[in-house]
This record gives sequence, structure tokens and C-alpha cells, in this order.
Amino acid sequence: MAEQSGQTRVQQNEPQADPQKAGALSHGPVPLDGSALRSAFDDEHPPSAELISDCVHCGFCLPTCPTYTLWGEEMDSPRGRIDLMKAGLQGAPMTGTMVQHFDACLGCMACVTACPSGVQYDKLIEATRVQVERHHDRRPGDRALRAAIFALFPHKKRLRALRGPLRAYQASGLPRVVRGSGLLERLAPKLAAMEGLAPPLEKREKLPTRVSAVGTRRAVVGLLTGCVQGEFFPGVNAATARVLAAEGCDVVIPRKQGCCGALSVHNGRQVEAEKFARATIDAFEAAGVQTVVVNAAGCGSSMKEYAEVLADDPAYAERARAFAASVRDVSELLTELGTVAERHPLEVTVAYHDACHLAHAQGVRAQPRTLLREIPGLRLKEIAEAEICCGSAGIWNILNPEPARELGDRKARNIAATGAEVLVTANPGCLMQVSSSLQRQGTRIGLAHTIEVLDASIRGLPVSTLGPQH
Amino acid sequence: MSGTHGTETTAGPVEGHVPPEATSATGEAGDNSAGMAAVTRVARATLSPNGVIDDPTELRTYECDGLAHYRVTPALVALPETTEQLAAVVRACSEHRVPFVARGSGTGLSGGALPRADGVLIVTSRMRTIREIRREDQRAVVDPGVINLDVTRAATPEGYYYAPDPSSQQICSIGGNLAENSGGAHCLKYGFTSNHVLGAELVTPQGDIVQLGGLAPDAPGYDLLGTVVGSEGTLGIATTTTVRLVRLPEEVRTLLAGFRSTDEAGAATSAIISAGVLPAAIEMMDALAIEAAEAAVHCNYPAGAGAVLVIELDGASAEVEHEYAQVERFCTENGAFELRLATDPAERALIWKGRKSAFAAVGRISPDYIVQDGVIPRTALPEVLRAIAALSSSSGVRVANVFHAGDGNLHPLVLFDDARPGAGRAAEEVSGAILDLCISHGGAITGEHGVGVDKAAYMPKMFTDDDLDTMQMVRCAFDPDNISNPGKVFPTPRLCGEVPGKRKHAHPLVEAGLADAF
Amino acid sequence: MTTAARTRLDSARTALSSACSEVVDATPADAVDGVPVGLVARPASTAEAAEVLRAAAVFGLVVVPRGRGTKTSWGRPPEQADLVVDLSRMSAVVEHAAGDLIVKTEAGALLADVQAAVGSAGQRLSLDEVVPGSSIGGTLATNTSGPGRVAVGTARDLLLGVTVVRADGVVAKAGGRVVKNVAGYDLGKLVIGSFGTLVIVTEAVFRLHPVPAARRVVSVSAGSPDDVQRLVQLVVHAQVVPAAVEVEWSGTGGGTVGVLLEGTAAGVEGRAAATIALLGGDAHATDELPAGWGRLPWADEPVAGRPTALKATFALSALSRVLAAGQAAAGAAGVQLHLRGSGGAGVLYGALPAGTDVAAVREVVGRLREACALAGGALVVLDGSPEVKAGMDTWGPVPAIDLMRRVKEQFDPERRLAPGRFVGGI
Repeated sequence: MAEQSGQTRVQQNEPQADPQKAGALSHGPVPLDGSALRSAFDDEHPPSAELISDCVHCGFCLPTCPTYTLWGEEMDSPRGRIDLMKAGLQGAPMTGTMVQHFDACLGCMACVTACPSGVQYDKLIEATRVQVERHHDRRPGDRALRAAIFALFPHKKRLRALRGPLRAYQASGLPRVVRGSGLLERLAPKLAAMEGLAPPLEKREKLPTRVSAVGTRRAVVGLLTGCVQGEFFPGVNAATARVLAAEGCDVVIPRKQGCCGALSVHNGRQVEAEKFARATIDAFEAAGVQTVVVNAAGCGSSMKEYAEVLADDPAYAERARAFAASVRDVSELLTELGTVAERHPLEVTVAYHDACHLAHAQGVRAQPRTLLREIPGLRLKEIAEAEICCGSAGIWNILNPEPARELGDRKARNIAATGAEVLVTANPGCLMQVSSSLQRQGTRIGLAHTIEVLDASIRGLPVSTLGPQH
Repeated sequence: MSGTHGTETTAGPVEGHVPPEATSATGEAGDNSAGMAAVTRVARATLSPNGVIDDPTELRTYECDGLAHYRVTPALVALPETTEQLAAVVRACSEHRVPFVARGSGTGLSGGALPRADGVLIVTSRMRTIREIRREDQRAVVDPGVINLDVTRAATPEGYYYAPDPSSQQICSIGGNLAENSGGAHCLKYGFTSNHVLGAELVTPQGDIVQLGGLAPDAPGYDLLGTVVGSEGTLGIATTTTVRLVRLPEEVRTLLAGFRSTDEAGAATSAIISAGVLPAAIEMMDALAIEAAEAAVHCNYPAGAGAVLVIELDGASAEVEHEYAQVERFCTENGAFELRLATDPAERALIWKGRKSAFAAVGRISPDYIVQDGVIPRTALPEVLRAIAALSSSSGVRVANVFHAGDGNLHPLVLFDDARPGAGRAAEEVSGAILDLCISHGGAITGEHGVGVDKAAYMPKMFTDDDLDTMQMVRCAFDPDNISNPGKVFPTPRLCGEVPGKRKHAHPLVEAGLADAF
Repeated sequence: MTTAARTRLDSARTALSSACSEVVDATPADAVDGVPVGLVARPASTAEAAEVLRAAAVFGLVVVPRGRGTKTSWGRPPEQADLVVDLSRMSAVVEHAAGDLIVKTEAGALLADVQAAVGSAGQRLSLDEVVPGSSIGGTLATNTSGPGRVAVGTARDLLLGVTVVRADGVVAKAGGRVVKNVAGYDLGKLVIGSFGTLVIVTEAVFRLHPVPAARRVVSVSAGSPDDVQRLVQLVVHAQVVPAAVEVEWSGTGGGTVGVLLEGTAAGVEGRAAATIALLGGDAHATDELPAGWGRLPWADEPVAGRPTALKATFALSALSRVLAAGQAAAGAAGVQLHLRGSGGAGVLYGALPAGTDVAAVREVVGRLREACALAGGALVVLDGSPEVKAGMDTWGPVPAIDLMRRVKEQFDPERRLAPGRFVGGI
């Protein structure tokens, strides 16, 4: 009797609910057959039941999850989202509520680092996002904003229109889909804040296609210049090329390279992601390099995933595997090679911020710190709650400005508490995100990419080149 | 018995996922839908808009705690932000006879926070304010959702820390610790949650807010706080809690010792304790557990070890120095082939990481497993370990051992593959037999994970009906309507109307006509 | 005693005698805080104790449990006392498992005998014998503690398991004989400090500690309450790991702070030197414990009769305020107040001489109670003359008293165990 009434209750309250679940009171697995409603996932690479079964529900992921930290709710935690995926596999429909919790995930992968059971949440959420993009109809405003983001970011020329003091004027040259979406209004304050804190926006120096090694050549590497990195932090690419050359690398910078597709990979835009991946592979294969070096954490993490992105493409699957294996973050490569160039002292206290896509997605934590510690005079501070995302998370801060601001402010407080003069990190998104929070709370601190600090040390530049710019 | 696992179950009765003896814990939806509706109305009126969850998809994420083997979807989840809000929900539950279950971070390993299908799950994860760090008083006052490790983080700048350290300390909440009387590796020297909780605001099952204990010790009257700690949420919900802070030791030495066998490691443990050394912790892991930890966190334990001991000494430097010399000697004398002293915090952390992630790490070497929690007198360790090994070889079920060797608290991890027919059943039997071993050696069926829903059926093996009846008198005093986490701890509820002490039978002398009763 | 009561006792005597091998008429010395007793039963086992309580239940006798009778006057006088259940025959140390660092004893065992038994293995039960001649059961019932509580806590931190007999004669146990155990409710906690009003404890299991190789006491004099507080704070926040931090505050003003250090010989020597340097002033170390160490201050009262015995509890930071309140109140009332206790744990015991005017006692109690309450604690009048007890609320206000009454109602619905002795008339 009780089960009957339980079933009735659930069905009355939520017509879309899976009747089997209510009937079974969710003890035990629910058979997949016989549901009249369409289940959340189709058969094309749904989140893997086997990977889901690795989760033992211990909860060790919770404290590192930004959304759990913000809201304290299970459904906005890694293990809760895995529960939702399991519900989907068992036939629950893809409701707006369910999608909302998948969308809320920043994809920071801190949970992957924290998980003692080795749950591959990264694979699970990416598979889920592809399904969401396929099956979920978003509200028009949301749809327009997302369209604008993907019409803007992977396109260097359009990004260029947002640079510098002329951006308002230049922005008028952007496509209508971008101008009408509200995206620029969300971006403007961040861009202004960043320009106040980051090294001055240099005149975009055009990188040569090849930079020769200084002294004995120890490696030939290709350099990904990236979209946001290339347009907003062009000095970072120049510094990367200089440092690599100083450390004995011939650096090849293929002209034809475009966007690596990171934002698409991380947001379930499968077709687009595949397109970008193929083009990137083509460009670097043509350059004939053994190693592809990346200085943007998000780009590096997605390029290391190309094997999964192109697994179903017979023409590219094998090439993607080889390519992915050749990708290195610049700090990884430098520590693998061992550094030889002389470091000049930099009397400065820096705080190193782990970019999620470097620390959690690529497991690169020790290398940047090792490189920074090699610089004489440099004092390295750790930031409290280092594992928690700053709220940037690719495009997440644009889609979720309020919680992103909370996370950014929390990160900024922890950064300020270190007393460091310069914040060092390896991702343009983090720099953009944290800069506005730092400025809002009035913290005067310089922002620099790890490679810029190394470059300054090798070239014997003064600390002031890394300091606050306002 | 906690599990991990594949689709849904881990271990446990293979057919039917909630064993018959546990069904009283789960409730059945719809018994009291009018009551439930009334409680929902109160919750909506009292809590913030996103503090009430009744969407079926969202409710599913609350269907189990850290023991995923038992799953029940609650009818409603309430996320109060204040004691008053929480009390209002409880009061409504009391008025309408709707059962409620409290939950902190949901990391418990005995299903203590398993929801009721006909009840409200009250989650304290939004009550996470550290109200005061009172250095002068050596106390902290914190809300129930505050994470255990965060208390230590907040106290460290003052030179203090919160001593109880369950393996899940990075996420488990103080409220949950209080309910379960959580232990941890360091309780060998420092004691359990009950030794460190000195005061708490309690929301009674009637929804009243009462203060038990506080900043000062020895509050006059019955030690209700001492009884509430470890009562697994059956006597109400503790909210703002006063805990003891312990001075950070002058010196900490963490030693990793590799042995060929658990017998040798056990003998070293005995030698240390017998010599009057009281380390902060003595932890043992056997070969299988080491393998799992290596796979998960690359803790770099001595290669080829049949067992390792993690021994931590802390206190005044001069004392630690002396004790360390003794410990080193006892380890070597008992066959340690490698001794490694952590020389910096990073090394110390890595040694502990191997130990603290061991439960979940076992998932790397076995698709499914049961985490057992039993206690034996420490001196019975070698004998019981041999008996466990015999059980394992006769049944063909692998058992990894991770435990608090210093106080005889065993955590055998019973490994199985649920995809193999009968494997779950066999693992379950081995797991149960281990508990029987603990009981027959004068031990306990749980040292720190709690009884919850998981072990309620084992309580009669450890306690007589009269023992259980007497315990439930306390339950009846606090919760006569049996709505506060019903079905946990006790296999059968006591009817609170049945007043004890009334003469059920005439005294034999009266019956024999030798005396008159008045 | 009324004739009816006498008749009832006579009837009960037969039943009791068949339940227990030793049942005798009470003497005036058996009176409980002035309340005359009818019979005394001395059970030799838990089973006998259970039979005694069953018989008492049948005959509706009001029962007062007694260990060795050293603290029977503590609390309020019971409303009635038909039968004293005396546990002095249950004095065995049942089991000492040295390797497991536990001891199981009967409740009537002398604390001193338990210490002797475990001491032979270099171990100790870390409960100070603050009232000489105390039994285990009495120590638990009154929750006495001494200097050692700073390091190892009190009975609640040491008791692992109990066997109890309920008012209806049912035997029950809780906990066990292992250090770690979370199976079921911890009834031991409920029983500690319950003054015999819930159940009768017949057996108890405790965890033990190794006896340290060496000890030193560093003493320093303190001129004012603020000085005492400063010194105590210095010690507790330092790295000297004190086993005890005692405060002695004489009725005439001025006091001493004593710091007990225990451990290895070399370690203690170094820590003693560090403590002396820390405290400064006239700080000095001795091997012997100072006079009065670990004794309740009223035991040292020179005036014959019944002194007033006080227990003050408070947050550590309020030590100076409590001392100052006591000094001011005693000064205003023109009486001598002697305070002593675990300054490092927030507990002080106070003594007012026998014969102190009740109004003066009330004044001191009131002022101290106010100071303790402001510091999250309480002031209890543990003992005193009949006039003192009649003249004030000895237990003081108790939060959660309704819940406590409900617990009592469950365990002893007929109120036959030491009724009226405990808080709120329980």
C-alpha cells in the first residue's frame, strides 16, 4: 500500500518523474525498459555506467567543489551530479532542473584531484555536456548568450576588436549575434579591470614563424599561441618563445594555427570541438615538431584530450592520440628538459595560483613552483584554499556572473592574505577573473604569467615590469 | 558494512537491497501525506526559497550518505541556515508526526543519515559559521555544518587545533561527528568526539532548543550532552557546538615502519604500548591495503612490506625524543626492515595520505568492497588477524586490513566483484564472521562508524534485550514519538508508553505467600 | 518512622534477606544527610543487587545507594531512605588487562585498591582520590575529580563500560571493555554525577594510563586574581604540557599556582626549567606535591562541624573574575573563603568554615554563582549544614531540567532512588 501511494505522490508532484523510480522507492537498480518517457541520454557515448560505478559516495570531492562550497547542496556537487547522471542512465528524463545542475559545474576538475577512488569525473561531465547540448532546449536568452560567446572567442580578429581603449568603438564592428546578446556588457568591466592590473597591453608584436635556440639546440617545439592569450596577453607568447629559445629550443610557431577548441570541448559542443581539433592537428603536423608547447592551461588540457574528442573519426583517431601525447604545458617541458639559462635575481614575493586546467586537469602543480623557486631572491607564497576555482572556468563566469563574482572575491581575499606583490598564474581566464575581484577589493598587486617571470629573470629585467600598473 | 560499487549495491543481502531487518529504518512513502504536506508548508514559509527541495530528480542526490549500499529517497530535504529555522522544521515534524533524519556532509559509513521515504531530511550543510575561536578558553564555538578540518584551520594561527580526526576530516561536519562520536587515527592519545565536545545547543525532537553543557566543564545535572554525543541523531539535532581546542604540539614525529608481516607489526605495537609509550597514533596497513593506497595516492610505502605501521609521536620535544628512541628500538627488534621518519610536513602529509585515503583507494584494486569496523582488545590482535586470514583463505574472499592498531579498532575491507554471482553473499558472510570474531574476543561491533541502519541487526549479538531496553529508556525520554531518525541503532523500537519498573510479575516471595506486597 | 512504614520494612526484610545474604537494621550512622534509614542491604554481586532492587520495588522501598559512605551527605538530603544498598562487599578488582590498559572493578572497590592493583604493572587509573576512602561507585556517582583532569579529563573520559541495576531490578550494561566503542548509547555518561538517582552501578570498566617515570611540581606565588589568571594562561598556552595546573587561593588573599609536569626524567627536568623561566617571580620546582594538593579545601577546615563545600565551574578566561568575586563576596560578608582547584580546567572548590552565618553563605554563593554563570559555568553547594542547605538553592538553576526529569521518569518512574537529592528535586 505504501509503495502505491508513494508512487502516486511522486507522479502527482512531477509529471515528468520516472515512474519506475517512485515505484521502486529507488532501492536498487531500476530496469531500463518500459519507460514511456524519453530518458536523458541517447546511446551515443552517454556518461559511462562503469565510470559512474567507481564513485563510492565518500564525499571527499565536496570541499573542493566550488558550487558545493557556495551553496552546500548535493545536486551541485560532483557526487550529486554523478547521481543525476546515474538517474539519467536509469531512464530519468533530462529535466531543466537536471540540466541546471550540470550547467552549474565549472569543470574545474578539483574533484578529480581530490577523489581517492579515481573517478574520472572529467570524462563523465564532458560526455554529459554533449548529451545536454543534443537534447536540451535552452531558453532563448541563454541560447543567444552562448551563441555570442562562440561567435566571439575562437575568432582572433573579433577578439582584437575588444582590445584597448578603442574597444567600444571597435566593438561595433562585431557580428550582430555578439552585439545583441549582452555579452559585451558582461565582459567590459572585466576587461577594464584586467588592463589596470596586467602588464600594459603591448603593441601586438608579430611573432616570427621560427625562433632559433640560443646555444646548443636541445629540442624542436611548436608553440600554440591561443585566442585570448594571443590577443590580450601577447607579451606572454613572446616571453614563452624567448624563454624556450634561451633554454635551447627551436620554437616553431605555425601561422595557420587557429583556436584549439578548448571552450567547445569543455561545453559539450562536439562538432565544433572536432573541427578545431582537426585543424590544430593539421597545423602542427605540417610544422614537423616533436612537442607542442602550450602556455594557456585551458588550451593544454583540451589538446591533451584530443584522443577522446576524435575517437570516432577513423581518419584522425590515431593521429589525435599521437598529437595528444606530444602536448606539454610550457612549465612541464622546461622541467623535463632541465633548465640551463642563467637566472638573474628578482627580489619579489609572488603568490602562485593554480589554474584548474593546469593543476587538476593536467596534474601540473610542482613544475611551475620548481621553476619559480629557481629564481634567486624570489619568495613563493601559497594561497589558502588553493584547490578551489577562482570562478573563471572558461566561459562560466560569463554565464554565471553572480556566483563567479563570489568565487572571485573569495580567491582575491586569499590572494591578498599572502601579502604577495605579484600574482603568478598560467591561464588568461584566471587573470581576467581574479583581476576584477582584486580591483574591487582594492588590492594592489601585479599580475603575471609564470613564463613572464622566468623571462624577466633570464633577461635581468627589474621587478617593476611585473608590478601593479596603476 | 559499507560498500562501494557498481550499479547500486555493494554487498548486503543480494536479493533486495535493504535487508528485512532494516526496513523499519526506511519508512514508506505516503503513510502520512497530509502531515508531510503540512511540514512542507512550514518549511517553505520558514526557510529561504532554495532551502526546500522536493524535486524528485534533486531528491535523488540525497538518497544515501557515505554508505551507498542503502538508498532511500527522502520525501523532502530542508536546508536550514539557523537553529531557529531548523527547530521550526522539527517542531512541524513533531506536530504532524513526520519522521526526520539529520545529515551533515553525508559521509557516514553506517547509513546513519539514510533518509526516510516518509520523512524530512534536515541537512546542516548551510550552517557552517565558525562563531568563535576562544584561545583564552581553549574552546571554539561552531555551527553544526562546519567542516572538521576547518576548525583546525581556524585555530592553527592561535597555536591550537581540533583533535578528533576522522579520515574524512576534510569534509565531515562537526554536527555529524557529534552524532556519531567520530574517532580517528589520533584518538589513541586524544580521545573521541565525546571527549572534545563540551557544549551544544540541542533541538529536541519536539523542536525545543535547549543548551547542554557549554564553555565550562561539569555542568550540574545529568550529562545529557554525553548521552547525545554518539546517539546517531536519535535524540534530536545538535546545532551550535562548543568544542575543546588542543595546543599544537611542540614536536611531531611521524614514522613509517615496514614489516614482513602483520604479526611482526602487531608485536611491535604491543611492545610500544607495554613500555608505557602513548603515541598520538599507531596505524597498521597490510599488503593489500598498501597496494591500494599506492595505486591511489602514490604514497611510496616500503616496497615488499607485508605490513606497515604509521606511528606518530607528539608533545614536548624532550619527551618525543625519548619516546622516539624507544619506538625505533621496538620496531627494529620486532623485524622492521625499513624505518622512515618524515622530515618535513610534506613527507608527513604523504605518509598520512596513504592511510587516510585507504578506504576509497581500495576501489582501485577491487570493483566492490565492504568496509568493516570492529574493535577487539589490542592484545587479541595477532590472534584475530590470523583468524581473519583463515576466513579469507577458506572462503576465497580477499580481505585488506587497515586499522588503528593502538586501540584495536579494525577496518577489514572485504573485497568482491558483484558481477560474479554469489560474490556479494560470500563477502557479506566473511564480513559478518569478522564481527562475530570481534564479539567473541570481548570487543565491539563498531569503534567509530556507528551502528546506523547497517548494524542495528547486530546489536543483539553484543547486548541483551535488557541492555537495549535500558538504552531505549533514554530514547523514550527524548523522543517518545520515535520521529528522530527512527529505525537506526536499535533493531526494534521500544514502545515508550510501556513504563518500566511496574511490577510485571509478582515477586516470588509474594507468590509463595511468604511476604505481602504493598 | 511511622508504624506503617515499620511494618512495611518488616515485610520487606524477609524478601530482602532471601535476595541478599547480608541485610541488617540500619544504625544512626547509616543516616543519609540526617535522614534516618531503615535497613541496610549489602549485596555481594550484581545478581544479588538486582534481587535486592526487585524486592525493594515490590515493597515500594525508597533506596539510597552507597559505596563507602564518604560523600553520602553531598547533594540535598533525600526525601526518604528506607533502604541503603551498600556496595562495600562488592570490592573486587575483577580484571586488570595490563596489555589492553583496562581495568574492570566492582563498584564498591576502593579507588586506592584499584590503584594498587594496576600500579604493580606500572599503570594507573587517572582519577584522583580527592576524598580519601572513596569507592569507585561513589566516585562515579558524584563525579569527583582532581588536579589530573587538566591532562586526562574526568570520569567521563575514562569510563568504558558499566553494569547497572535499574530501579526495577533489571540488570543492564552499556559500553564494553575496549577503548573504542560506539555501539549503542553511552549510559556511562548518564550515570556519572547522577548521585544515585537513576540506577545503581555495580561494575565499571576504565581505561588506564602508564605511570610516568618522573614528575616535578613548579609552584609560584600570585598576589592578585589577575596575577593568577596571567600565570595560568602563560602555562596553558606554552609548550610545557602540564599534567595539572592547580590554583590555591587562601581566605586571606594571595595564592599559589602549581604546575605538575610528568614524563621522562630528562623531559620533566627540561620542562620544569622552562616553566620556571616562563612564570618568573619566585617560581621553583619540587619533587613532592605541595601540601593540600588534590584535596578538597573543606577537608582542611580547622573548625569542627560541617563546612560549606562549593564547586565553581567557569570558562578558563574567567578565572580572575571568579576569584575576585569570591574575594569580594567573602570580604563583604566578613567570612573566610578558601578556594582551590584546577585553575587550568575551569574548576575551583570553595570552603566556608562550619558555623558561618547562613546569610553570609548565601551572599557568597550568590556572588560566585553570578560570576560563574557569566562565564558559562555554575556554582553548586555540594555540602553544608542542614541550615545552609535549607537556606538556599544548593544546585542552582539547571538548563534542560525538563529533559532531565523525563530521563528520571523513564528510569525511575516511582522515584524510589535517592529522591530529592539531585538537581531540581530529582
